[in-house]
Amino acid sequence: MENEFFQNAGMHFESSASLSSIWHSLSSSAMETRGTELNCMSDQSPDCLRNPSWEKSTDHGIHFDSALSSIVSSPAASNTNLSHDSFVIRELIGKLGNIGNSGDISPHSRPLLASYIGGNNSANTSCYSTPLNSPPKPNVPRMDHLIKENLPSLGKSMPLSSSVAEFSADPGFAERAAKFSRFGSRSFNDRTSQFGQNNAEALYRSNLLVETESLSRVSSSPSLKAVGSQMRGQENYSSPMQDRTELASSQEESTISEQIPDVETGLKGSNDLNPRKRKTASKGKAKEPKSSPFANSTKVAEANGNSNAKRCKPNETNGKENGPVKAEEEAKGSSSSSGDEKQSKTNTKPPEPPKDYIHVRARRGQATDSHSLAERVRREKISERMKFLQDLVPGCNKVTGKALMLDEIINYVQSLQRQVEFLSMKLSSVNTRLDLNMDTLISKDIFQSSNPLPHAIFRLDSRASAFYAHQAQQDPALHSNISNGTATQCSVDPLDTALCQSLSVQLPPLNGYRESVSQFPMFGEDDLQTIVQMGFGQNPSQETAMQPQSFHG
Amino acid sequence: MNPRRSISSNPASTVKSRFTNGFLKALLRINRQRITSTTAYTPREIFRGYLRVKIAADVSMASAIGSRRAWSRAMLRKVRSHGRDGAQVRRMSFLAMRKRNLYGKKIKCVEEDVGCYQANVLRKLVPGGAAMDMCCLLGETAHYIKCLNTQVKVMRRIAEVFST
Repeated sequence: MENEFFQNAGMHFESSASLSSIWHSLSSSAMETRGTELNCMSDQSPDCLRNPSWEKSTDHGIHFDSALSSIVSSPAASNTNLSHDSFVIRELIGKLGNIGNSGDISPHSRPLLASYIGGNNSANTSCYSTPLNSPPKPNVPRMDHLIKENLPSLGKSMPLSSSVAEFSADPGFAERAAKFSRFGSRSFNDRTSQFGQNNAEALYRSNLLVETESLSRVSSSPSLKAVGSQMRGQENYSSPMQDRTELASSQEESTISEQIPDVETGLKGSNDLNPRKRKTASKGKAKEPKSSPFANSTKVAEANGNSNAKRCKPNETNGKENGPVKAEEEAKGSSSSSGDEKQSKTNTKPPEPPKDYIHVRARRGQATDSHSLAERVRREKISERMKFLQDLVPGCNKVTGKALMLDEIINYVQSLQRQVEFLSMKLSSVNTRLDLNMDTLISKDIFQSSNPLPHAIFRLDSRASAFYAHQAQQDPALHSNISNGTATQCSVDPLDTALCQSLSVQLPPLNGYRESVSQFPMFGEDDLQTIVQMGFGQNPSQETAMQPQSFHG
Repeated sequence: MNPRRSISSNPASTVKSRFTNGFLKALLRINRQRITSTTAYTPREIFRGYLRVKIAADVSMASAIGSRRAWSRAMLRKVRSHGRDGAQVRRMSFLAMRKRNLYGKKIKCVEEDVGCYQANVLRKLVPGGAAMDMCCLLGETAHYIKCLNTQVKVMRRIAEVFST
């Protein structure tokens, strides 16, 4: 496959394997650079990588570039089996030089690139030798000068992108670059995902942004300006970057282009880059794996313009189309890993694509097929409702687990229903003794009384105690009556007479009952509890009496 | 907790007030029926009276909720169908049957879902729960619990006022 790319590009790469080895070495080195701040690889000259001038504004990005360039340049040290590759690379560089409209740039770039040519990258350690130092430094001032010259010509406010724009002016080069990116990104998928962690990427973004713009697949100029604002602070390192981007680094392009959409969001946290990478336009590539950054990289340019619209599309490309699936902001997915490719975006809301489908972000390490996604959404809905129920049901906080929680909920619902039945039984027995003019008093009372439940319980208990205080001898009958749960053959008269007498006795101080009965709070409470216990004969009934005091609904 | 259940300046707007109004009206109606008819103290009559009050409480609660919730619709449907069937159905040891059926059958749950058995029990408890999936069932249960709490509070208050 890689061979085809190169052939189509018109580059006569005789051994793509060797070139792929270059890419692989580049990627490996890039990975290492990412991991260790360029310290690990260069046994020979770590200083060159820790060059303070380099670290001025960019850290990883530039170092990565330097590493890549050094890798390519290392062949100069050992020209073993890459002679033909070096020829190919020289060819590429030559074309790059021809593309540039301004002749100033190409000569500068050519020596720069030529220094990279040549070789084999068999030894990673040799890659990062001093040649790394030499090309960038001297060229920096020159490139800056050239860039500034080109500024007015290009009419852009981005010094960095100027030379890049010129390079990309050639449509053929653009296509080739795109193809290279496709090729390179495949091998650099996983590695490049780590690259988007710092603002140094802005440099690359600007470069590739211009390129992609020229490809007429991107339409977002604001992103360019956004990048430009960040570019100004990093002028000095633009030129070497450009050269390397052109030369290499289709893989660089892939990585950076993947991150281009981030520019639109103003280069928010690095977390955005990775999810953006995934989201950017993984369209039309049938051979792509589901949501691989490789797929994304190919459509970077499109993604730049349509990143918003296609933010959630990678999931769709997986064949998942869920209407009822809830769009979830999987911020929790970000906790899974920092550099993973599947972080969910949370802070940038896409301008919602066609609303038929509700988009769900797959989390890292989880299946992305439609069934599991829908299943996960359903499970999360259920857990959310369970949490809500946990607040409603008292005493559910200590219980963990779905089954135990459901048991608690069931018990609570049953106890509430039994309370309703008990109260309706009480009301039916009391109802018969009401006077007709009571209803007005009742309605007034109920609306006026906004007492909390514990007071109501005490009042009720005191009421009950008032009942039983008057009719002490009737208690056993009353208890037995209620203990049956349903009306039985037991004598009901005592209950009625008790109620009659109590009502008649206490009817006058209706409004003052609050004070009178407040004297018997504890007594009534015990009585009511015993009644309830005997009535229902179960533990939940005890909860029934106790619970009203604890919850307020 | 729920703004609907708070006593607002306009009492008729909350669920609680609506329920209270409806329930009190039903109670008065039942009371008048009782006074007109012969006050019999047989257990059957007592049970019937109790059942009337209970149904009145449920219906007034469901009416206060309206058709917004599945459980209220199911409850109203059940009461109306029961009313059509006649008193015979209601008299059939209502409570006993409910208690027996609740835990009588242990439905083997073959799904991986942990709370399958409890879900079935919950479905029997919550009116209209048989036709719901787990997600809706939990939502309806939450709303049902809230309304039951309201109901218990109001009925307790009424019983308290009546019993003075």
